[in-house]
Amino acid sequence: MNLVKQRKSSKSIQKGALVVLLILSVISSLFFVNHNASFYDETIAEVTQTKLLQKEQVTDEFQNRDTIYHQELTAKILNGNEKGRIIQLQHTYTASGGFDDAYHEGNKLFVKKNAENQFDITGMKRDHLLLGVVWLLILILIFVGRKQGVLSLLSLVINMGIIAWVIQSYTNWDDYLIPLCMLGCVLFTVISLTLVNGWNEKTFTAILATLVGTFISFGIAVFVLWLTKENGMRYEELQFITRPYKTLFFAGLLVASLGAVMDIAITMSSSLFGLYEKNPHISIKQLAKSGREIGKDIMGPMTNILFFVYVSGSIPMMVLFFKNHATFTYTLSTNLTLEIVRALVGGIGIVLTIPISLFIVLFFIKRKQVKQ
Amino acid sequence: MNSLVVLAMLLAILMIGLGGKKGLRSFITLFINFALFIVLLFFMNIPEVNPVILTMIICIIISFINLFYINGTNTMTKTAFASTVFTTLLLSGLILYFANATFIQGFGKEETEELSMASLRIGIDFSKVAVAVIMMSTIGAITDASIAIASPMKEMHQLKPDIDRKNLFIFGLSIGKDIIGTSMNTLFFAFVGSYLALLILFSDLSYSWSEMINSKIFSGEVVTIACSAIGLIAVIPITAFCTSYVLTKKTPPSQQEN
Repeated sequence: MNLVKQRKSSKSIQKGALVVLLILSVISSLFFVNHNASFYDETIAEVTQTKLLQKEQVTDEFQNRDTIYHQELTAKILNGNEKGRIIQLQHTYTASGGFDDAYHEGNKLFVKKNAENQFDITGMKRDHLLLGVVWLLILILIFVGRKQGVLSLLSLVINMGIIAWVIQSYTNWDDYLIPLCMLGCVLFTVISLTLVNGWNEKTFTAILATLVGTFISFGIAVFVLWLTKENGMRYEELQFITRPYKTLFFAGLLVASLGAVMDIAITMSSSLFGLYEKNPHISIKQLAKSGREIGKDIMGPMTNILFFVYVSGSIPMMVLFFKNHATFTYTLSTNLTLEIVRALVGGIGIVLTIPISLFIVLFFIKRKQVKQ
Repeated sequence: MNSLVVLAMLLAILMIGLGGKKGLRSFITLFINFALFIVLLFFMNIPEVNPVILTMIICIIISFINLFYINGTNTMTKTAFASTVFTTLLLSGLILYFANATFIQGFGKEETEELSMASLRIGIDFSKVAVAVIMMSTIGAITDASIAIASPMKEMHQLKPDIDRKNLFIFGLSIGKDIIGTSMNTLFFAFVGSYLALLILFSDLSYSWSEMINSKIFSGEVVTIACSAIGLIAVIPITAFCTSYVLTKKTPPSQQEN
């Protein structure tokens, strides 16, 4: 009895220590990031006072009405040679805020001296806020997800590292983006699935199914686009890139569907292996039927999830187009074609992965049943 | 032929071929969602309309259709719907705060060239639009997570009608924990895949670490992904709670009927 008590108390001490460590990390990192101005090369000034100088109603050439505000900001320089100096900043912003911000007290701004020895605002320091929202995510992930939450966090961090490596390598090895991304995909899949689900036959079949499904759907996408000579594709939104934008688009296509396909593969794999574990004598025919039913349930929601993620980002641009009196067709065709292709290819990948994972899982289970 | 049409037809064939009637309904839902998206766009252009409230309404409609059209009207979908709406409401508050504090609305300086000919004084509040964007990104994932938890909970309740509320809630949470990993991945890769080009641009422009983090577009992405993920995680305990409450509330009368 004593041993059980000892183990229980040592476990709760461990847990307590982790919680304390977590709280300390949160507080210290937030404190650091709110006071790290000295680590920046660019001059940072904190707004201490704002004064509204003028407000004017304007109408643009498309009869849109807006308001322009002229502000004078008083700010204190936080770093560099002139630390502590109080400066005045002239600032203009619109009610719409498409390209400007309505700064207020407490905002930390990047400033630069111009030719007349006055300061111009060049940007805003956001890192302390970003850290705040990221910590919120981490904390809720740990609180609700416990061990799985931490593992998925770990896999996210590792995946981000892989992406950074892929992008870095791409800057050095120009022509190899697609192969690099394919390698990246394999790494992403293996690491993400193994970390969260452990290394077992469930994970193994899911990894196989994911890779096969992703690459096949990618192949289909390339084929269809080649066949239709990309009729209807508008690459405008990517043309600000100095790189071959089509390659970039295809690389993004490859990576984007990966997450959804992984989800389908592991859901199929887990469910089917779960059914098998409950009843090792279940017939392959019955498993196949259950597998198809599960697939039918998940294919719809997954595709819709991808759709919303992709198209939502283009909303601001489309609103801008509409208010600049662009036609409906022009706006949609210029802004949405890439996103819709992404969603459709993702959907094809999702639907294809269902029979693929079914086939692979059944193959393994059949082998296991024969061995018995 | 138009590439999009070919791809759409291919997807339809696959969905109906492999999914049957349910597959067809899923494909039709995709169309309906697209239509709702267009409706959102249309109303957002009216300056008097508050984009946040508009998006809230559209999100509720989307959740309504996605749940009740594909899965039918029953206890499960009703609790999933309630949980989704509640989570979205909570999330909108969070998004409002962070989107405004970080000033991620509108466009960044990397997009200046594209916009050189356009008038930006369009009288639409871009900071509210930014909130709308994040809410719309996540609604699909939140709705799906919600039903993914409510559904097995109902099965558990049917298998063990005498299960008490606390244990049912814990069961719901455990299902949620299982789906967290894959849901996070789905969101993460979807966002990264879309913005791969942008990340490469940052790398090409030799942005320093601090330049990239503090840039408007990157910050916008971080806030979007973080808030979406928070919403996705938050819906788990909310759904587990609602479903366990509703399911265990109904037990006494049905047992009496038996």
